[in-house]
Amino acid sequence: MRFNKGMLSTDRHIFDNMYFRDAGHGYDEFGFHPKTARWGIKALAPLYNIYFRVKGYGTSRIPKEGPAVLAANHAGMLPIDAVMLALDVFANTTPARWPRASMDQFVPLMPFVGTFFSRCGAVAGSRGNFGRLLDSGELVTAFPEGVPGIQKPIWKRYQLQEWRVGHCELAIRHGAPVIPVGIIGSEEQWPQVGRIDWIKFLGAPYLPIPITPIPLPVRIHIHYGEPIPLQEEYAPEQSDDPAVLAAAATRVKDAVEELIAAGLEQREGLFR
Amino acid sequence: MTVVLLTGVTTPLGTALAKALVEDAEVQQVIGVGLEQSPPPDLANDAVVYERWDLSKERNIRRMLFGSCRERGVTHVIHSAFHRSPLAEGGHIHRLNVESTRHLLRFCERHPTIRRFVFRSDVEVYRHDHLHPTLLREDQPLELSRNTKQRVRDRVEADLTVCTRMGLSSLSICVLRLAELLAPESGSQLYDWLLSRIAIRPLGYNPMVNLLSLEDAVAALVAGVKGEAQGVFNIPGFDSLPLKRLAELAGVRPVALPGPMLSPLYRWRERVRKTEFTYEMNDGRFHTSDLLDGTRARVELGYEPRRGIDFSLLKPTRGTRRPVPRGSRSEPH
Repeated sequence: MRFNKGMLSTDRHIFDNMYFRDAGHGYDEFGFHPKTARWGIKALAPLYNIYFRVKGYGTSRIPKEGPAVLAANHAGMLPIDAVMLALDVFANTTPARWPRASMDQFVPLMPFVGTFFSRCGAVAGSRGNFGRLLDSGELVTAFPEGVPGIQKPIWKRYQLQEWRVGHCELAIRHGAPVIPVGIIGSEEQWPQVGRIDWIKFLGAPYLPIPITPIPLPVRIHIHYGEPIPLQEEYAPEQSDDPAVLAAAATRVKDAVEELIAAGLEQREGLFR
Repeated sequence: MTVVLLTGVTTPLGTALAKALVEDAEVQQVIGVGLEQSPPPDLANDAVVYERWDLSKERNIRRMLFGSCRERGVTHVIHSAFHRSPLAEGGHIHRLNVESTRHLLRFCERHPTIRRFVFRSDVEVYRHDHLHPTLLREDQPLELSRNTKQRVRDRVEADLTVCTRMGLSSLSICVLRLAELLAPESGSQLYDWLLSRIAIRPLGYNPMVNLLSLEDAVAALVAGVKGEAQGVFNIPGFDSLPLKRLAELAGVRPVALPGPMLSPLYRWRERVRKTEFTYEMNDGRFHTSDLLDGTRARVELGYEPRRGIDFSLLKPTRGTRRPVPRGSRSEPH
């Protein structure tokens, strides 16, 4: 099978050249296992290439090396947008970069799911983990809206929820630029009309009630903005200053909102 | 010149450490302390002076430090004596594990020649849950739960006993929190876990574990003695791998069963086969990954893990790999 530029290939040589810090047994210290990730990417490639027909814009703005934080809007009931973003970065970087995503703290406790996610490169969302990844020169993804982003109903699509500041704190402290990312399509792909909260005892924050049993094949457009060089503008010790963090986070949020507005205007239709 | 007093010299770690210290040009003499009548065969030479003391008694510690140790001009103390059995409980065990540390430290502070105190602590002192980072730094929460086994409680208390004197004492104090030392007779729960043909783990979970080799543990303790840095230092090992992979490398068949079945199964195994692995002590790390972040030790002590575990030594050969009966590990330190 041949792939055009921007389409996802799962050739072995791409994985062989991928940035990976082996902790000694084919796994990194967080449990990332490229061989498992390769199978995961293979399984998800049809979703990326055919079902959601993901299209990336401004992919040259993704740093080829060194630490960076990708900060994006978050929606879609399940974190499909996070997976598509990771696949898009993987498909559009040479040598391939595999961005490390964060899991909510309940996810590692879920049997099978937590282990599979960590084998695919996700880490439990904590400052310590992300700081270590950035210090190691990794590319990390952050969704500053958090769970409120993916639990918002369809009528609140593209309305950014409370924008947390942790991604800016980490970027400043660990010397990484922030790349704003606007994801178009994910907010309509699996409309949610309600949620069940009483399953919290199982570890998950809620059970979503979708309109459709499976996500709609809405085309996903991913827009990468100009890197915001927070590491050049602020000293690491300023990462504890609430005013600095609020200003930096507002800047990132504004950039994401601009990308979303431009992306929505550019889009020709929900499925195109 | 450096004269080292080493407690717990009869353990495999203590013996290996004593040998390494003797070979070091900066170390003039090593005094090894144990409870056994005679030193381990490996140390039966003139290089290490073996002394037999029961450290659970305060007067013994006083006599040891202000008697032979003063005569020999001891400058450094490595305290690594700790009861080996995870199941041993009671006042006597507590006196050995905790009170001996307290007395030793107090007397060292008054001692005319002792300058540095190195305490061997353990990864077990950290609380295992999903709310902290995968890589544990030295400031992570400690295991202070009410239902913790005495072994862990004692380790936490002894660790904190030493930490509370940092900065207040005339001694230079260094606490090394070692990753799991996968070796026999070292109190390793994972070593005991691998002492059967099948290793049962919770279904759906395969967390990462970090393992320390004897060589790296010795290197870390030597760095602790020779360094000047004070404080708490995590000592990670070279090998970081999933639990299931560990079992496979050790030649044990990993079997995953639903979590609630594990506690009764392991309790049954403990009673029938007389093993010392207790699931209650390992429940947390059998679900979430907990590795030590050794950045501080690398920067301030110059310690970096270099030697991996030789997993081939863990593989059982027919008839040679039997669970060790509790009676054979009754030596306290």
